[in-house]
Amino acid sequence: MSKRRYRKILAIVGAALAVVIAATTWFVNRKPGSPFDGVSASTSPSKALIERGRYVARLADCVACHSTPHGKPFAGGLEMSTPLGSIYTTNITPDKATGIGGYSLADFARALRHGVAGDGHRLYPAMPFPSYAKLDDADVRALYAYFMHAVRPQRQPDRKSDIAWPMNMRWPLALWSAVFTDGGTYQRNAAPAGVDATLWNRGAYIVQGPGHCGSCHTPRGAVMNEKAYDGSSRQYLAGALLDGWYAPSLRGDVNIGLGRWSQADIVRFLREGRNAHAVVYGSMTDAYNNSTQFMSDADLKAIAVYLKSLPGNPKQDGPPWQYQDTPNPALGSGAHPQAAGARLYLAKCGFCHGRDGRGQGTWIPPLAGSVASMSRHDASAINITLNGSTHIVAQGVPDGYRMPAFRHQLSDRDVAEVLSFIRTSWGNRGGSVKPQDVKKLRQRTNPASSDVIILQMR
Amino acid sequence: MELHINGKTYSVQSEGDTPLLWVIRDELGLTGTKYGCGIAQCGACSVLVDGEVMRSCVTPVEGVKGRNITTIEGVEEDPIGQRVVAAWVEHQVPQCGYCQSGQVMAATSLLKQTPQPSEAQIAASMTNLCRCGTYNAISAAVQDLAGGGPSAAAEKARMQAATAANGRGMRS
Repeated sequence: MSKRRYRKILAIVGAALAVVIAATTWFVNRKPGSPFDGVSASTSPSKALIERGRYVARLADCVACHSTPHGKPFAGGLEMSTPLGSIYTTNITPDKATGIGGYSLADFARALRHGVAGDGHRLYPAMPFPSYAKLDDADVRALYAYFMHAVRPQRQPDRKSDIAWPMNMRWPLALWSAVFTDGGTYQRNAAPAGVDATLWNRGAYIVQGPGHCGSCHTPRGAVMNEKAYDGSSRQYLAGALLDGWYAPSLRGDVNIGLGRWSQADIVRFLREGRNAHAVVYGSMTDAYNNSTQFMSDADLKAIAVYLKSLPGNPKQDGPPWQYQDTPNPALGSGAHPQAAGARLYLAKCGFCHGRDGRGQGTWIPPLAGSVASMSRHDASAINITLNGSTHIVAQGVPDGYRMPAFRHQLSDRDVAEVLSFIRTSWGNRGGSVKPQDVKKLRQRTNPASSDVIILQMR
Repeated sequence: MELHINGKTYSVQSEGDTPLLWVIRDELGLTGTKYGCGIAQCGACSVLVDGEVMRSCVTPVEGVKGRNITTIEGVEEDPIGQRVVAAWVEHQVPQCGYCQSGQVMAATSLLKQTPQPSEAQIAASMTNLCRCGTYNAISAAVQDLAGGGPSAAAEKARMQAATAANGRGMRS
């Protein structure tokens, strides 16, 4: 190759590279447009608008992440883990200096839907903006009115993330957003045949948008992206392992999903925190305590209609569970089983969950046929046994029946034995549990350990 | 809601999700059944429902309506319960006594289902906790009722010797 030709190629490549760099720089630093650009929000919004905003904030469960257990509502500070280090949720009270008091409606909408803060920096997708992108304009306007006029401002500076340079640069997140979010507000779709289209669409809107159910229930890809954001994919809400819990499938899977639940069961679960199939536990307790119990009956019905329209995947789910007394010995009156797992079950579990594993009404959940007993993932079964459940607070009243923590009573082997018994009895097919898996999760859920799980993206 | 307790029928006002323990103690005033931990771990609240031991602190009252409930107040109406109480007295099982109504219920339930339990079966079934550590006396009393084992016999001999010694002491 001649020297001249070489120079020419270099010049062309160089120019192209410069263009790409310039375009990327522009792209990652630009503020996406908002339908609210140049629109000024009312300085004295109606009470009705504020109340609607309060309700949207419940649907979206903003308070769960933007508060700490003993902090002020919406003042932020909750630690969340990322593969690179911890980040802390931000102050979203209308304080001018440390919160979002200086945000215009357009700034607010950009943060909510596109993950771009008021000063232009990109938010980590721990903020579920790929879901919130689906919020319609009216809800965004109402939410803004609520935050600006009904949330008490708190002066609390945001805490810097623990991520070190250069990984703490935010601009690459713009590329993440471009690749993994499909953007755009929720668009009305044709409902499946025989289903009330208005209800179904309302349900889809809440589940995919403000409710951001997929943040926990949809499996995530290699870079923490949710594998789907709507029902067009079978991965959507198909169940996922997160924060040491297995979030069940919300699809029609009979064993690990909602296949055996009626619409009324779903409504009752979200409104009361319990039904004859299950009681909320793990991360769902926060979602129930702060969010789902405040949803209107009409919206709960809509959610149930939508979720029941998502088909299961029998290939992955296996044949439907059926109650069986075998192969494990029936634990009827007077039974004195020899196996350690069965003996432990009678001493530690049977008084509440029943010798037959069927639980007690809607108060204490069955272990026979439950997702934690049927799923091949044993994280939820181990976690709830070691750490128990937190209080379910319905309409301000803490519930009287709570799973105790057994971490100080049962050894890794004990837990493995009793869970292996439960997960292979009464027709359950979850399979046995290994002591080393119990050991691992025990360590990772011990607040004093250096390796404790911090909740991830919600 | 109607409850059958110790052969009597009570009409109760408590809500369906109230733990049976609080209906028995607070609404009906049958305070022989004790509150210990409230999470089914200690057994102080044990009662019999259709002859089987249940921990009343985790039993929603709605689930036991129409069933036969026996509390410590009524346990001696039952022939097996009567024998258990007699054995408890004979072996001088209780120390502070707080957990003992639950222990008696658990033993009664065990002997109703399995009249002659082995030592291993007794150990596996008598899972109620006792802060005073009366486990050896409990085990001896139940083994005595089950037809006796070496430890029951030894415990009995020890108790008889102690009683005899006490008796002598008191007479002199």
